[in-house]
Amino acid sequence: MMTNTVYDEKVKKYKSIVKFENTSVGTAYGGPATPAHHKGILMKDYITDTKRGFQAYIEYINEINEIAPIDFLNTPYPGMMNVILTTMWLSKVKIPGRELPDDALWQIDEKAVIDRDDYDFVIQNGYEAFRAKVLPKVIDMAEVEKFFKYIGEEGPSQSKAFIDNGFPLVSEIATAPPFEILSGARSMPKFFMDCYKVMDKIKEAQDVIQPTVVANAIGMLKNANAIGAWVGGWRGASGLVSPKIWDTLVWPYMKGMADAMLENGFIPVFHLDQNWDRDIERFLEMPAKSCVLNTDGMTDLKRARKLLGDHVAFMGDVPAPLLSTASADKVSDYVKQLIDNVGIKGTIITSGCDAPANAKFENMVAMIKTAADYK
Amino acid sequence: MSIIAQLIADLEDEKVVVEVEKQLEAGTDPQEIFAACQDGMNLVGKKFQDGEYFVSDLMMSGAIFKEVSEIIKPYIMSSGDSTIGKIVLGTVEGDIHDIGKDLVFAMLSAGNFEVIDVGVDAKPELFVNALKENPDATVLALSCLLTTCYDAVKETVDAVIDAGLRDKVKIMIGGGPVDQSVVDYTKADKFGKDAQDAVTVAKELMGL
Repeated sequence: MMTNTVYDEKVKKYKSIVKFENTSVGTAYGGPATPAHHKGILMKDYITDTKRGFQAYIEYINEINEIAPIDFLNTPYPGMMNVILTTMWLSKVKIPGRELPDDALWQIDEKAVIDRDDYDFVIQNGYEAFRAKVLPKVIDMAEVEKFFKYIGEEGPSQSKAFIDNGFPLVSEIATAPPFEILSGARSMPKFFMDCYKVMDKIKEAQDVIQPTVVANAIGMLKNANAIGAWVGGWRGASGLVSPKIWDTLVWPYMKGMADAMLENGFIPVFHLDQNWDRDIERFLEMPAKSCVLNTDGMTDLKRARKLLGDHVAFMGDVPAPLLSTASADKVSDYVKQLIDNVGIKGTIITSGCDAPANAKFENMVAMIKTAADYK
Repeated sequence: MSIIAQLIADLEDEKVVVEVEKQLEAGTDPQEIFAACQDGMNLVGKKFQDGEYFVSDLMMSGAIFKEVSEIIKPYIMSSGDSTIGKIVLGTVEGDIHDIGKDLVFAMLSAGNFEVIDVGVDAKPELFVNALKENPDATVLALSCLLTTCYDAVKETVDAVIDAGLRDKVKIMIGGGPVDQSVVDYTKADKFGKDAQDAVTVAKELMGL
């Protein structure tokens, strides 16, 4: 796809940040749901009327960009978001206009759709057979087909629009390691119990799942000519699971996914929700200056920078409550403090996790503008 | 420390069930066994606060406590209520998340509170009705996992005020995106940063 100077310069800047060669902080937009309210579109229309929804998405980003310069995008437009989330986590997702009020945010309705015996099913039949067995329990397969048709038809024009508007999408897709997939299908409480009771069995199942998940992710990234992607860390957060679970069932698979991305020329963005303080030094195991940690405000980045030095770049981490309830001044103060704590090199300022659906526009502007202007 | 408390603190689920059944058969006072289970849960809570245990450990201990409670409770039903306070708990309107709420339920129950769970996506009037039906409930605990539901928390607090119950009910809130700024915005009393902290906050709000 044809690029342009603005876009190319920003890609260059992103790569320089990952290598700690940047001279100014980077800024990124990440808020799939945030534009709807500001643009006056009901959430149900925003995610299902994909042409109108995407238009709102890009217009919203441009509105911010006119006041405060956005370098990169960390999230794509969430067209038919429920299909993306369901196929990633094998959980049912309730959406506005169907199971939820018209302007509500989509939500995962996490219920166990597999039982303990299904780990054996994975081991004996492989991941694709398991997925084919589970998916119809959580989504109408016609909707999945509709999603792929939508992506085939509108994906290229969305990519072109990002390029034409000068916004590199640095996280093309979100990948879910096996731990996250099984947690979604089994439901977190039951899955965590299983981790204590049948850890070896889960590990065996994850070993079967991992190669397929990695191959699928790399295939998608190659097709999209992507820059990089999320390596998802949600239920596998250090703050959520015991060290034994993390060491055995979480980290090896996250690292494996990231290694595969690097081998294929993509930049892994470890999307880390919740608190990762306990295990933050393990990211030293990744090749130096090759990855990004995308945290949500709960991991201590000041401490992380001390421990990791210039080994891994940071992208974060203005917390959601600040963006939705605080004043612009408070957001600005947070960003300044964050930059003071972690420095300019290897740093991209963005929202922690995704910017919330009810983030104030002036707060989004304050976040980006402060990052661009400070120091 | 009793064997039962230590087994719970070590998350030895099968062994603790065997030990509880053994002690019940041997005629040990069921209240004493239950108290040992609570001691074990207190140890788990301490390990969590000290950074030795994590949420998965809390969940595991909660499941163990629930299992042994169900074994013991038939033996102590006639012994009278020995809980230290009553709490109404639920996830606010518009939010269907239940995992955090259920974990708080488990930790509060293990902390010897009686907990009335009104479920998820609960309208303000549901909380108010539960408070009216349980006039001895002095704490309302609201779970909120979505920033878009801060207003639902606020509306629930307002509904408690409108019902004339605010003077006798303290309100605690919790959930991933909840912090002091949300307490200020919603006019609740305090927030708990995790399920274990909910026990500490509930005790504090009850003056225990």
